[in-house]
Amino acid sequence: MKIRQAKEQILLRVDLSSGSIKKEPIPEEWTEMYLGARGINSRLLLKEIKNGIDPYGPENILYIGTGPMDGVPIGMGRLSIATKSPRGCIAEGSSGGFFGPELRRAGYDFIAVEGISEKPVYLLIQDEKVEIKDATHLWGKTTYETDAALRAELKDPNFQFRYIGPAAENLVHSAMLFGNLNQAGGRAGCGEIMGSKKLKALAVRGHGGIKLYDYEGFLDAYKDFRQKLDLETSRDMWTPVWSTFGAPVLSRLFPDMGQLMTRNAQEMSWDYDKATAISSEKYLDSYVTKAKACWCCPWPSCQKLYTIPSGKYQGFKGGNYWAGQPITFGSLIDNGDLDLLLVLSGLCNRYGLDIFHVGYTLGWAMECFEKGILTKADTEGMELGFGRFDQDELINLVRKIAYKEGFGELLSLGCEGAAQRIGKGSEKYCLSVKGMELEAIAERNLLMVGLGIAVSEVGPDHTRWYPPYPCNPSLLSKAELDELGLDIDLKLAFETRNPDKKGELLRWFTISRAIVEALPSCVFLVRDSLGLDLRTWWKLFESATGIQQDYQEFVRAGERIMNLDRIFNVREGYGRKDDRVPYRMSHEDVKGFGYKKIDQDTLDRMLDEYYSANGWSLSTTVPKRSKLSELGMEELAEDLVSKGVEVES
Amino acid sequence: MKVVNLRYVAAAYPLTGRLYEDYSTQADTLLGLIEELDRKYRGFKSMFCDTATGKLRINTMIYYGDKEKVPVAVLDLKQPISEGAKITFW
Repeated sequence: MKIRQAKEQILLRVDLSSGSIKKEPIPEEWTEMYLGARGINSRLLLKEIKNGIDPYGPENILYIGTGPMDGVPIGMGRLSIATKSPRGCIAEGSSGGFFGPELRRAGYDFIAVEGISEKPVYLLIQDEKVEIKDATHLWGKTTYETDAALRAELKDPNFQFRYIGPAAENLVHSAMLFGNLNQAGGRAGCGEIMGSKKLKALAVRGHGGIKLYDYEGFLDAYKDFRQKLDLETSRDMWTPVWSTFGAPVLSRLFPDMGQLMTRNAQEMSWDYDKATAISSEKYLDSYVTKAKACWCCPWPSCQKLYTIPSGKYQGFKGGNYWAGQPITFGSLIDNGDLDLLLVLSGLCNRYGLDIFHVGYTLGWAMECFEKGILTKADTEGMELGFGRFDQDELINLVRKIAYKEGFGELLSLGCEGAAQRIGKGSEKYCLSVKGMELEAIAERNLLMVGLGIAVSEVGPDHTRWYPPYPCNPSLLSKAELDELGLDIDLKLAFETRNPDKKGELLRWFTISRAIVEALPSCVFLVRDSLGLDLRTWWKLFESATGIQQDYQEFVRAGERIMNLDRIFNVREGYGRKDDRVPYRMSHEDVKGFGYKKIDQDTLDRMLDEYYSANGWSLSTTVPKRSKLSELGMEELAEDLVSKGVEVES
Repeated sequence: MKVVNLRYVAAAYPLTGRLYEDYSTQADTLLGLIEELDRKYRGFKSMFCDTATGKLRINTMIYYGDKEKVPVAVLDLKQPISEGAKITFW
């Protein structure tokens, strides 16, 4: 059994065109500069993927990355999945479960998948032994069927998997990777790219281990970490709620506050009885059969498994009811039936679809149908109004999206792709940014959310810049803020409708989240002051790896990562014009709540503050030479210039 | 007597055994209401108020909205209670 140091990072490079398999060390200085997981994935993307390549071509590379903290027993079992998105920008998503720790035990930290296989294959990793295996028999299977087939074939219950469903095989917009049946990740198109490479699955089994550099120091940092997550001692109002009930509790909180996207966000409130019918409390009362946690998670588990107890869909099983589903398959399409909601969500997991793609595209289609832009001639005779649909037909439509059949083929493009095809003003009803659908968080009452979704490099993804409902601004005193070098007026920054200081706060949270995802840790473990005060993470990293750097240098790793992602996008032609909010959010006020639209002036004010704080050009958003120099990444400025990108000094 | 609409979210739900109720109260302030509710649902006050300081616990939240108004987070337990108010505990 091989025991490795936590800081050691090894890349497994697999070329599906040639069949070659190589092991390469990750440069040691990269661990200091970018930590691991998302950070090193971003560095690899920029170094190895040439700008302008065809995302579906053999030159695109799919990276799956762990980090120095992965596999140590404190709930850090995350994966970063990254590639060039079919939309041209960076695609990156995080995922939990057990795959990351198992991969590290097998002796690897990153997998780079290059080329395209001639036939469907899966990658089998058993410690030193790595093989590309035929997967013809798996192609076409759902994620659940693939999981069962691989388990039967490999016979060892400790294998961990990542696989795609039929949606990714068929290159459906935003299709994802899955594991442990319901663990999804990489919604920005990572699954599509895996499908384009004809790679059905990855299977890994390892027998090694990870050694901490300083066990006692690590234990001290861990105690501090646990105290901040403890139900009694945490100072964060979300800790008790998230850890036991999960995010769908928001469905009962949001309708009164103008925060629940309803009928494709034409309204921001919903019937309270419907919201209650699909709430966490109802779900826990009658549907949950088992709590299931990721690798060593200190929380009571957020991915609860369910079985529909009675009625038409009795016996249907699934898992992971979280914040997205009550909106995407609830209020957004005006469905107050929890059974139907769980079937739609469960089918997305089986077909390998992104719930946000499907929910928001259904919402768009329903609005188009009600406005006469789409008719029964388009929908194959289906009635498609908000709350006015046949349940079985809607369920079948999800299947058609995954297989690109009939009307489902149009919706498989995502709302933006579908709107571009049919036109007729339907673009106004797309709730998307950079070609990717929103993720159920309201913007007009929380301006930082508006800014966050506008600038996010992958498209809307609040996990890249912290939960939008910020922790209590009084969590840190002025003296503590000074100690941390955080020169932000938190009180002003947390004023939800005031555009001032949103750029500065968003910058900090983007850095903070980049660090957490590079260690990597889980978005839901960043509670209490752990998103503002990174010293606990710093101590955990230092004691695990033995890498000693001062706190500000540790923080700079997060800043480097956010700059890498921006550079990737500007190389592909993205810029200020793409940092925007959906038409509805910039042109319509929220009725009945007094929340104004985010007009261009307001957005520009926040964008200017954000770009300035980052040291980026206000016109092109390209990081300035002085900023790249400060971060020790001067060579990236030269690289940009060589590609014809103007870099301001 | 005033009738207010109370909503129990997440951890408040197992304590009360109900998701919401219309409740008649004699209390003039939120603290008074919480003390009334503590007599009905034992442990309610300690869930929301710090036993040492008597202040609202930092890791819980109460939203208060007068009739037809958008509820907002309560920072002070002296918050007056009006007829028809909507109050969410979580």
